[in-house]
Amino acid sequence: MRAGERSWGGWRQPAAIAVAVAFLLPFWYLASGSLREPGAPPPRAPELLPRPLSVESYDRAFELVDLGRYTVNSLAVAALTVPPAVLFASWAGFAIFLLTGRARAVLIGLSFAALMVPATALLVPRFAIFRALGLTDTWAPLVAPALLGLSPFYVLLFYWSFRRLPRELFEAARLEGMAPLAAWRRLAMPLVRPVTVAVGLLAFIASWGNFLDPLIYLFDSDLYTLPLGLRSLAVLDRTNYPILLAAAVVSTAPVVLVFAVAQRFFLHEDRGAGWLGR
Amino acid sequence: MTSLGVEGARKHFGGVQALDGVDLEARDGELLVVVGPSGCGKSTLLRCIAGLETLDEGTIRIAGRDVTRERPAARNVSMVFQSYALFPHFTVSENIGFGLVVREVRKSEVVSRVAASAELVGVSHLLARRPFELSGGERQRVALARALVREPDAFLLDEPLSNLDAGMRTEMRTELRRLHRRVGATMVHVTHDQVEAMTLGDRIAVLDAGRVRQVGEPDELYRRPRDRFVAGFLGSPRMNFLEPARAAAFFPVPDGSILGIRPEHVRLAGDGVASRVELVELAGSDAYVHLDGGLVARVPAEERPREGAHVHLRISIGDAHRFDGQTGERLAWT
Repeated sequence: MRAGERSWGGWRQPAAIAVAVAFLLPFWYLASGSLREPGAPPPRAPELLPRPLSVESYDRAFELVDLGRYTVNSLAVAALTVPPAVLFASWAGFAIFLLTGRARAVLIGLSFAALMVPATALLVPRFAIFRALGLTDTWAPLVAPALLGLSPFYVLLFYWSFRRLPRELFEAARLEGMAPLAAWRRLAMPLVRPVTVAVGLLAFIASWGNFLDPLIYLFDSDLYTLPLGLRSLAVLDRTNYPILLAAAVVSTAPVVLVFAVAQRFFLHEDRGAGWLGR
Repeated sequence: MTSLGVEGARKHFGGVQALDGVDLEARDGELLVVVGPSGCGKSTLLRCIAGLETLDEGTIRIAGRDVTRERPAARNVSMVFQSYALFPHFTVSENIGFGLVVREVRKSEVVSRVAASAELVGVSHLLARRPFELSGGERQRVALARALVREPDAFLLDEPLSNLDAGMRTEMRTELRRLHRRVGATMVHVTHDQVEAMTLGDRIAVLDAGRVRQVGEPDELYRRPRDRFVAGFLGSPRMNFLEPARAAAFFPVPDGSILGIRPEHVRLAGDGVASRVELVELAGSDAYVHLDGGLVARVPAEERPREGAHVHLRISIGDAHRFDGQTGERLAWT
């Protein structure tokens, strides 16, 4: 090991711990705050655990709004969104990868341009389109962006990942008569598994935390997703922090769980894929 | 019978003319080596034959069929890539059988043909491994097995030895030659390494700036190069070129022409043209003697002079080549 690597290795661990602590503190505040009794004021100083410990805020949160239904709704919307988002983003990324010259440059340029457009700028036209199609007050407007890969960023992420693979792999497949769709399924996707998991995770987080679209398109409370449920709770009892924090824990837990399950796929690159055919 | 033919092939990329009217044929069962410096268009030529690039102009025939507008898969050629292009997530067995599986060949036949092909290149014991578990030479063999398994009309090899270390390259060169003798298939092998070209090819095509300079048997190209480029490209150390004024010290050379003499034909003798040894490179059984004025002589190692020594040189006119000073074309001695 060279001296530079050793010194970087020496700094890396404390730096990682510092970053982890900075990110974990709000979670700790969230969790410990949710275990205070309903109606209790926020603590004046940081506390490790509240006294007395209580889970009553969770009961009250579920009584005040139908958090169970909203959680199921959010899970359903995410389940309808994430697979097509990954599918279409990877297809689009693979198509850009297969193209050459000007066509590829134009599509990459368009993807970047689309990335620059603020989502709020499209709210009104999108609402007009979905209303004209009679799809408001359904989950369709929430799921529809997945048919475009959900975000140009995911498309570009896949394109960049495919570009890292040796082009000869796909030329060898072409020589054998393999169709592009089969090459995508049998060659490209298995070799970018970490990116696929990462895009799936990002799409899940985007769908799970989506507040604006449900607020605009959903009117029937039976269709509400969790962010709308949290909003309803905040309106009902604005200053009851333990209840709000309990609901926030309920809404955060699935994301943490999904990340915990998914991280081993994108943090540990498969050796076979990592070798990249060279 | 012509197994593979290219006629009037032209291809450009932007402002670069990669192929500029290439005419080439590989006879049935022949190992044709296309050699040339980097950027001369040899890989482009191979990719055009495979169908991975389309020609701007010209025709490609494989096994008597015009395949110029055919899809790569319909041309029935196999290609071994410089990087081997093995699929990292497949086992050796899956890599070799890949083309058969894509073509929906029966599973039992795939198994038997994979076994036969692996046996042929000596990787039968590696079938369950994945490419990252193999050495460079083993990957090379697997790539060859994958090309062989389909029994195509022609094999295209794109610098398949260039990623190997020197020792392994020499070993694989011999293996490749043996393999070609055994299967008797038509092969087009592209390389920038003239030693590889000389030792492997039944015939060699020298390519420069998208044009074929000369095609012929290795010995013919070495002994009777058609022009100065071919003469300088083949042979190590490269051929010495002398202007008429300098060449006149040895024998009269007509104005407007260049004298070419191979290093092994520059003889150190008791009398002749006086020169001084600037540098001596020992290369095993031979030594390369760099003389003043840029002349290089190749002598047996045990006869090498000391650096700084004064020597006398002799060149026989029968060993010398004459090229046109302007066009570089070979000229006859008059």
